[in-house]
Amino acid sequence: MLAIRVAAVVAVSALTLTAQAPFPGLQSSAPRGKAAVAYLFPEQVTVAAGKPSAVDLHFRVSDGLHVNSHTPHTEDLIPTTLKLKDAAVQLSKVDYPVGRDFAFDVDLKEKLNVYTGEFIVHAEFVAVKGDHLVEATLRYQACDNSTCMPPRSIPVAIDVIAK
Amino acid sequence: MKRGTLIVKRNVIVLCVVVLVVGMLSLAGWANYQNRKQQAELLQVQQAKAELVPDNASVARMVSPLVGKPAPNFTLTNLKGEKVSLASYKGKAVQLNFWATWCAPCKIETPWLIDLRKQYAGQGFEILGVSFDDLDKEDKFLLAKEKTGIEKSVAQLQIPYPVLLDGDSISKPYGDPEVYPTSFFVDRSGTIVAASFGLNSKAELEGNIRKALGVAN
Repeated sequence: MLAIRVAAVVAVSALTLTAQAPFPGLQSSAPRGKAAVAYLFPEQVTVAAGKPSAVDLHFRVSDGLHVNSHTPHTEDLIPTTLKLKDAAVQLSKVDYPVGRDFAFDVDLKEKLNVYTGEFIVHAEFVAVKGDHLVEATLRYQACDNSTCMPPRSIPVAIDVIAK
Repeated sequence: MKRGTLIVKRNVIVLCVVVLVVGMLSLAGWANYQNRKQQAELLQVQQAKAELVPDNASVARMVSPLVGKPAPNFTLTNLKGEKVSLASYKGKAVQLNFWATWCAPCKIETPWLIDLRKQYAGQGFEILGVSFDDLDKEDKFLLAKEKTGIEKSVAQLQIPYPVLLDGDSISKPYGDPEVYPTSFFVDRSGTIVAASFGLNSKAELEGNIRKALGVAN
Protein backbone atom coordinates (compact mmCIF):
# COMPACT_ATOMS: atom_id res chain seq x y z
CA MET A 1 0.00 0.00 0.00
CA LEU A 2 2.83 2.36 0.91
CA ALA A 3 4.66 1.46 -2.30
CA ILE A 4 1.58 2.34 -4.34
CA ARG A 5 1.21 5.70 -2.59
CA VAL A 6 4.89 6.55 -3.12
CA ALA A 7 4.67 5.58 -6.77
CA ALA A 8 1.54 7.67 -7.20
CA VAL A 9 3.23 10.74 -5.71
CA VAL A 10 6.29 10.27 -7.93
CA ALA A 11 4.12 9.79 -11.02
CA VAL A 12 2.03 12.90 -10.40
CA SER A 13 5.11 15.03 -9.66
CA ALA A 14 6.87 13.82 -12.77
CA LEU A 15 3.85 14.37 -14.98
CA THR A 16 3.56 17.91 -13.62
CA LEU A 17 7.22 18.60 -14.35
CA THR A 18 6.93 17.29 -17.87
CA ALA A 19 3.64 19.09 -18.56
CA GLN A 20 5.36 21.54 -20.91
CA ALA A 21 5.93 20.32 -24.45
CA PRO A 22 8.89 17.97 -24.30
CA PHE A 23 10.56 19.37 -27.40
CA PRO A 24 9.98 23.12 -27.28
CA GLY A 25 11.97 25.15 -29.71
CA LEU A 26 14.07 22.34 -31.13
CA GLN A 27 15.13 23.74 -34.45
CA SER A 28 15.40 21.84 -37.65
CA SER A 29 18.74 22.05 -39.39
CA ALA A 30 17.24 23.56 -42.52
CA PRO A 31 19.58 25.95 -44.32
CA ARG A 32 19.20 29.59 -43.41
CA GLY A 33 18.68 32.51 -45.75
CA LYS A 34 16.75 32.85 -48.98
CA ALA A 35 17.49 30.27 -51.68
CA ALA A 36 19.29 31.65 -54.74
CA VAL A 37 17.29 29.40 -57.07
CA ALA A 38 13.53 28.95 -57.09
CA TYR A 39 11.55 26.19 -58.76
CA LEU A 40 8.79 27.78 -60.84
CA PHE A 41 6.67 25.10 -62.54
CA PRO A 42 5.12 22.65 -63.39
CA GLU A 43 3.46 21.55 -60.16
CA GLN A 44 1.56 18.74 -61.79
CA VAL A 45 2.18 16.58 -64.85
CA THR A 46 0.23 13.79 -66.49
CA VAL A 47 2.33 11.04 -68.03
CA ALA A 48 1.82 7.66 -69.67
CA ALA A 49 2.40 4.93 -67.07
CA GLY A 50 5.48 2.81 -67.64
CA LYS A 51 6.82 4.94 -70.53
CA PRO A 52 9.43 7.70 -70.51
CA SER A 53 7.64 11.04 -70.51
CA ALA A 54 9.34 14.39 -71.10
CA VAL A 55 8.84 17.25 -68.64
CA ASP A 56 10.42 20.71 -68.75
CA LEU A 57 11.26 21.94 -65.26
CA HIS A 58 11.55 25.72 -65.00
CA PHE A 59 13.87 27.37 -62.50
CA ARG A 60 14.91 30.96 -61.84
CA VAL A 61 18.18 32.25 -60.40
CA SER A 62 17.75 35.38 -58.25
CA ASP A 63 18.81 38.66 -59.82
CA GLY A 64 22.48 39.48 -59.38
CA LEU A 65 23.44 35.86 -58.81
CA HIS A 66 24.69 33.01 -60.96
CA VAL A 67 25.00 29.28 -60.38
CA ASN A 68 27.46 26.87 -61.96
CA SER A 69 26.01 25.08 -64.96
CA HIS A 70 25.86 21.29 -65.01
CA THR A 71 29.29 21.32 -66.72
CA PRO A 72 31.54 23.86 -64.97
CA HIS A 73 34.99 24.33 -66.43
CA THR A 74 36.85 22.79 -63.47
CA GLU A 75 36.01 19.69 -61.43
CA ASP A 76 36.25 21.40 -58.04
CA LEU A 77 33.28 23.63 -58.86
CA ILE A 78 29.90 22.29 -57.85
CA PRO A 79 27.59 21.58 -60.82
CA THR A 80 23.85 22.16 -60.84
CA THR A 81 22.30 18.71 -60.63
CA LEU A 82 18.76 17.30 -60.47
CA LYS A 83 18.15 14.12 -58.49
CA LEU A 84 15.12 12.02 -57.69
CA LYS A 85 14.75 9.06 -55.32
CA ASP A 86 11.30 7.62 -55.49
CA ALA A 87 10.03 4.04 -55.60
CA ALA A 88 7.23 4.79 -58.06
CA VAL A 89 8.82 7.41 -60.31
CA GLN A 90 12.25 7.10 -61.92
CA LEU A 91 14.28 9.80 -63.60
CA SER A 92 15.35 8.11 -66.83
CA LYS A 93 17.10 11.06 -68.47
CA VAL A 94 18.08 14.63 -67.63
CA ASP A 95 19.22 17.21 -70.18
CA TYR A 96 20.65 20.41 -68.79
CA PRO A 97 20.81 23.69 -70.66
CA VAL A 98 24.10 25.01 -71.96
CA GLY A 99 25.58 27.60 -69.60
CA ARG A 100 27.13 30.88 -70.60
CA ASP A 101 30.64 31.99 -69.82
CA PHE A 102 31.12 34.44 -66.97
CA ALA A 103 34.22 36.08 -65.48
CA PHE A 104 34.69 38.18 -62.36
CA ASP A 105 35.66 41.80 -63.07
CA VAL A 106 38.96 41.45 -61.23
CA ASP A 107 40.11 38.36 -63.11
CA LEU A 108 38.79 38.09 -66.64
CA LYS A 109 40.99 35.07 -67.33
CA GLU A 110 39.14 32.83 -64.85
CA LYS A 111 36.02 31.85 -66.84
CA LEU A 112 33.08 30.09 -65.25
CA ASN A 113 30.18 28.40 -67.03
CA VAL A 114 26.95 29.50 -65.38
CA TYR A 115 23.18 29.85 -65.43
CA THR A 116 21.51 33.16 -64.75
CA GLY A 117 17.87 34.22 -64.81
CA GLU A 118 15.45 31.51 -65.89
CA PHE A 119 16.70 28.13 -67.02
CA ILE A 120 14.97 24.91 -68.02
CA VAL A 121 15.99 21.36 -67.16
CA HIS A 122 14.52 18.79 -69.50
CA ALA A 123 13.73 15.59 -67.59
CA GLU A 124 12.19 12.26 -68.54
CA PHE A 125 10.16 10.38 -65.95
CA VAL A 126 9.01 6.78 -65.94
CA ALA A 127 6.18 6.28 -63.48
CA VAL A 128 4.05 3.34 -62.41
CA LYS A 129 0.33 3.86 -62.76
CA GLY A 130 -1.18 6.10 -60.11
CA ASP A 131 -0.93 9.54 -58.56
CA HIS A 132 2.48 10.21 -57.06
CA LEU A 133 3.64 13.30 -55.19
CA VAL A 134 7.37 13.23 -55.79
CA GLU A 135 10.08 15.48 -54.42
CA ALA A 136 13.16 15.75 -56.56
CA THR A 137 16.04 17.97 -55.46
CA LEU A 138 18.10 20.49 -57.36
CA ARG A 139 21.60 21.01 -55.98
CA TYR A 140 23.47 24.16 -56.92
CA GLN A 141 26.11 26.57 -55.73
CA ALA A 142 25.53 30.30 -56.21
CA CYS A 143 27.73 33.38 -56.30
CA ASP A 144 27.38 37.06 -57.04
CA ASN A 145 30.13 39.32 -58.39
CA SER A 146 32.31 39.04 -55.31
CA THR A 147 31.05 36.36 -52.95
CA CYS A 148 29.99 32.73 -53.06
CA MET A 149 27.42 30.98 -50.96
CA PRO A 150 27.67 27.36 -49.79
CA PRO A 151 26.15 24.64 -51.98
CA ARG A 152 22.46 24.20 -51.39
CA SER A 153 19.62 21.88 -52.41
CA ILE A 154 16.04 22.93 -53.02
CA PRO A 155 13.00 20.66 -53.24
CA VAL A 156 11.29 20.25 -56.60
CA ALA A 157 7.80 19.02 -55.73
CA ILE A 158 5.72 17.62 -58.59
CA ASP A 159 2.44 15.74 -58.64
CA VAL A 160 2.98 13.03 -61.25
CA ILE A 161 -0.24 11.45 -62.50
CA ALA A 162 0.52 8.30 -64.45
CA LYS A 163 -2.37 6.90 -66.50
CA MET B 1 -2.28 -17.83 -1.97
CA LYS B 2 -4.67 -15.71 -3.95
CA ARG B 3 -3.83 -12.71 -1.79
CA GLY B 4 -0.12 -13.34 -2.35
CA THR B 5 -0.59 -13.44 -6.12
CA LEU B 6 -2.51 -10.19 -6.01
CA ILE B 7 0.26 -8.50 -4.05
CA VAL B 8 2.88 -9.67 -6.56
CA LYS B 9 0.80 -8.43 -9.49
CA ARG B 10 0.27 -5.09 -7.83
CA ASN B 11 3.97 -4.68 -7.13
CA VAL B 12 4.79 -5.50 -10.73
CA ILE B 13 2.36 -2.82 -11.88
CA VAL B 14 3.85 -0.33 -9.44
CA LEU B 15 7.34 -1.15 -10.66
CA CYS B 16 6.28 -0.69 -14.29
CA VAL B 17 4.74 2.67 -13.51
CA VAL B 18 7.87 3.84 -11.70
CA VAL B 19 10.09 2.72 -14.60
CA LEU B 20 7.80 4.51 -17.05
CA VAL B 21 7.85 7.70 -15.02
CA VAL B 22 11.63 7.64 -14.61
CA GLY B 23 11.92 7.08 -18.36
CA MET B 24 9.67 10.05 -19.08
CA LEU B 25 11.66 12.21 -16.66
CA SER B 26 14.91 11.25 -18.41
CA LEU B 27 13.45 11.98 -21.84
CA ALA B 28 12.15 15.36 -20.71
CA GLY B 29 15.52 16.16 -19.14
CA TRP B 30 17.36 15.23 -22.33
CA ALA B 31 14.96 17.27 -24.47
CA ASN B 32 15.34 20.30 -22.21
CA TYR B 33 19.13 19.98 -22.32
CA GLN B 34 19.09 19.78 -26.14
CA ASN B 35 16.78 22.76 -26.31
CA ARG B 36 18.96 24.85 -23.99
CA LYS B 37 22.06 23.87 -25.99
CA GLN B 38 20.44 24.89 -29.28
CA GLN B 39 19.20 28.19 -27.83
CA ALA B 40 22.72 28.95 -26.54
CA GLU B 41 24.24 28.18 -29.94
CA LEU B 42 21.62 30.32 -31.68
CA LEU B 43 22.36 33.20 -29.32
CA GLN B 44 26.09 32.81 -29.96
CA VAL B 45 25.53 32.98 -33.72
CA GLN B 46 23.15 35.96 -33.45
CA GLN B 47 25.65 37.88 -31.33
CA ALA B 48 28.46 37.20 -33.80
CA LYS B 49 26.53 37.48 -37.07
CA ALA B 50 27.65 40.07 -39.61
CA GLU B 51 25.11 42.65 -40.72
CA LEU B 52 24.64 44.75 -43.82
CA VAL B 53 25.00 48.44 -42.96
CA PRO B 54 25.23 51.44 -45.29
CA ASP B 55 28.54 53.27 -45.33
CA ASN B 56 29.06 57.01 -45.91
CA ALA B 57 28.19 56.61 -49.58
CA SER B 58 25.06 54.59 -48.71
CA VAL B 59 26.64 51.43 -50.10
CA ALA B 60 25.67 48.40 -48.07
CA ARG B 61 28.66 46.63 -46.54
CA MET B 62 28.87 43.66 -44.24
CA VAL B 63 30.01 44.55 -40.73
CA SER B 64 30.92 42.03 -38.05
CA PRO B 65 30.07 42.60 -34.36
CA LEU B 66 33.20 40.57 -33.55
CA VAL B 67 35.48 43.49 -34.46
CA GLY B 68 37.02 44.75 -31.25
CA LYS B 69 36.43 41.47 -29.44
CA PRO B 70 38.77 38.56 -28.67
CA ALA B 71 38.93 36.06 -31.50
CA PRO B 72 37.14 32.87 -30.37
CA ASN B 73 39.77 30.22 -29.85
CA PHE B 74 39.64 26.95 -31.72
CA THR B 75 41.66 23.85 -32.50
CA LEU B 76 41.44 22.31 -35.95
CA THR B 77 43.42 19.74 -37.89
CA ASN B 78 45.69 20.63 -40.79
CA LEU B 79 46.20 18.59 -43.94
CA LYS B 80 48.91 16.53 -42.27
CA GLY B 81 46.51 15.54 -39.49
CA GLU B 82 48.24 17.76 -36.90
CA LYS B 83 46.19 19.80 -34.43
CA VAL B 84 46.55 23.56 -34.81
CA SER B 85 45.23 25.98 -32.23
CA LEU B 86 44.63 29.72 -32.77
CA ALA B 87 45.93 30.39 -29.25
CA SER B 88 49.38 29.18 -30.31
CA TYR B 89 49.62 32.22 -32.62
CA LYS B 90 49.30 34.78 -29.84
CA GLY B 91 51.97 37.42 -30.32
CA LYS B 92 51.53 37.25 -34.09
CA ALA B 93 49.08 39.06 -36.34
CA VAL B 94 46.86 36.47 -37.99
CA GLN B 95 44.41 36.46 -40.88
CA LEU B 96 41.78 33.74 -40.57
CA ASN B 97 40.80 33.16 -44.17
CA PHE B 98 37.55 31.18 -44.54
CA TRP B 99 37.48 29.66 -48.00
CA ALA B 100 36.42 26.57 -49.99
CA THR B 101 37.66 24.74 -53.07
CA TRP B 102 34.39 25.50 -54.87
CA CYS B 103 34.71 29.23 -54.25
CA ALA B 104 35.99 30.99 -57.36
CA PRO B 105 36.52 34.42 -55.72
CA CYS B 106 38.56 32.66 -53.01
CA LYS B 107 40.92 31.40 -55.70
CA ILE B 108 41.21 34.88 -57.18
CA GLU B 109 42.34 36.41 -53.87
CA THR B 110 44.70 33.53 -52.90
CA PRO B 111 47.69 34.73 -54.97
CA TRP B 112 47.27 38.17 -53.34
CA LEU B 113 47.28 36.54 -49.90
CA ILE B 114 50.43 34.63 -50.77
CA ASP B 115 52.16 37.85 -51.88
CA LEU B 116 51.07 39.76 -48.78
CA ARG B 117 52.11 36.95 -46.48
CA LYS B 118 55.56 36.95 -48.05
CA GLN B 119 55.75 40.73 -47.65
CA TYR B 120 54.68 40.84 -44.00
CA ALA B 121 55.83 37.47 -42.56
CA GLY B 122 59.02 39.09 -41.28
CA GLN B 123 56.90 41.44 -39.16
CA GLY B 124 55.11 38.55 -37.49
CA PHE B 125 52.15 37.98 -39.81
CA GLU B 126 50.62 34.59 -40.62
CA ILE B 127 47.57 33.37 -42.49
CA LEU B 128 45.47 30.39 -41.45
CA GLY B 129 43.37 29.10 -44.32
CA VAL B 130 40.22 27.51 -42.89
CA SER B 131 38.49 25.23 -45.39
CA PHE B 132 34.71 25.14 -45.37
CA ASP B 133 34.53 22.23 -47.78
CA ASP B 134 32.03 19.63 -46.60
CA LEU B 135 33.59 16.61 -44.94
CA ASP B 136 31.59 13.36 -44.79
CA LYS B 137 32.92 12.20 -41.45
CA GLU B 138 30.66 9.11 -41.44
CA ASP B 139 32.03 7.76 -44.74
CA LYS B 140 35.78 7.05 -44.66
CA PHE B 141 36.03 6.63 -48.42
CA LEU B 142 34.26 9.92 -49.19
CA LEU B 143 36.21 11.70 -46.46
CA ALA B 144 39.51 10.60 -47.96
CA LYS B 145 38.32 11.72 -51.40
CA GLU B 146 37.27 15.13 -50.05
CA LYS B 147 40.59 15.63 -48.27
CA THR B 148 42.42 14.71 -51.46
CA GLY B 149 40.36 17.33 -53.30
CA ILE B 150 41.39 20.00 -50.80
CA GLU B 151 45.05 18.92 -50.99
CA LYS B 152 44.88 19.15 -54.77
CA SER B 153 43.46 22.68 -54.63
CA VAL B 154 46.10 23.73 -52.10
CA ALA B 155 48.82 22.35 -54.37
CA GLN B 156 47.37 23.99 -57.49
CA LEU B 157 47.12 27.36 -55.73
CA GLN B 158 50.60 26.84 -54.23
CA ILE B 159 49.36 27.82 -50.77
CA PRO B 160 52.31 27.96 -48.37
CA TYR B 161 50.41 28.79 -45.17
CA PRO B 162 48.60 26.28 -42.92
CA VAL B 163 45.27 25.05 -44.26
CA LEU B 164 42.91 23.76 -41.60
CA LEU B 165 39.98 21.42 -42.20
CA ASP B 166 36.38 21.34 -41.02
CA GLY B 167 35.67 25.05 -40.82
CA ASP B 168 31.99 24.27 -40.21
CA SER B 169 32.87 23.09 -36.71
CA ILE B 170 34.02 26.60 -35.69
CA SER B 171 31.48 28.51 -37.73
CA LYS B 172 29.04 29.46 -34.94
CA PRO B 173 31.34 31.57 -32.74
CA TYR B 174 32.39 33.41 -35.90
CA GLY B 175 28.79 34.28 -36.77
CA ASP B 176 28.08 31.44 -39.21
CA PRO B 177 29.41 33.28 -42.26
CA GLU B 178 27.22 32.65 -45.26
CA VAL B 179 29.52 34.12 -47.89
CA TYR B 180 33.04 33.24 -48.97
CA PRO B 181 35.74 34.32 -48.87
CA THR B 182 35.44 35.75 -45.37
CA SER B 183 38.45 36.89 -43.36
CA PHE B 184 38.99 37.93 -39.77
CA PHE B 185 42.13 39.89 -38.97
CA VAL B 186 43.48 39.25 -35.47
CA ASP B 187 46.12 41.41 -33.78
CA ARG B 188 49.00 40.23 -31.61
CA SER B 189 46.88 40.32 -28.45
CA GLY B 190 44.23 38.08 -30.01
CA THR B 191 41.66 40.82 -30.74
CA ILE B 192 39.77 40.92 -34.04
CA VAL B 193 40.61 44.32 -35.57
CA ALA B 194 38.88 43.90 -38.95
CA ALA B 195 36.65 41.55 -40.91
CA SER B 196 36.08 41.33 -44.64
CA PHE B 197 33.36 39.57 -46.56
CA GLY B 198 33.65 38.61 -50.20
CA LEU B 199 36.34 39.43 -52.72
CA ASN B 200 38.05 42.67 -51.79
CA SER B 201 40.92 44.45 -53.47
CA LYS B 202 44.50 43.57 -52.65
CA ALA B 203 44.92 47.09 -51.26
CA GLU B 204 42.04 46.57 -48.85
CA LEU B 205 43.47 43.22 -47.75
CA GLU B 206 46.82 44.89 -47.14
CA GLY B 207 45.14 47.66 -45.12
CA ASN B 208 43.56 45.06 -42.83
CA ILE B 209 46.84 43.19 -42.44
CA ARG B 210 48.57 46.40 -41.42
CA LYS B 211 45.79 47.03 -38.88
CA ALA B 212 46.40 43.59 -37.41
CA LEU B 213 50.14 44.30 -37.26
CA GLY B 214 49.49 47.66 -35.61
CA VAL B 215 51.27 49.45 -38.44
CA ALA B 216 50.02 52.79 -39.74
CA ASN B 217 48.57 52.79 -43.26
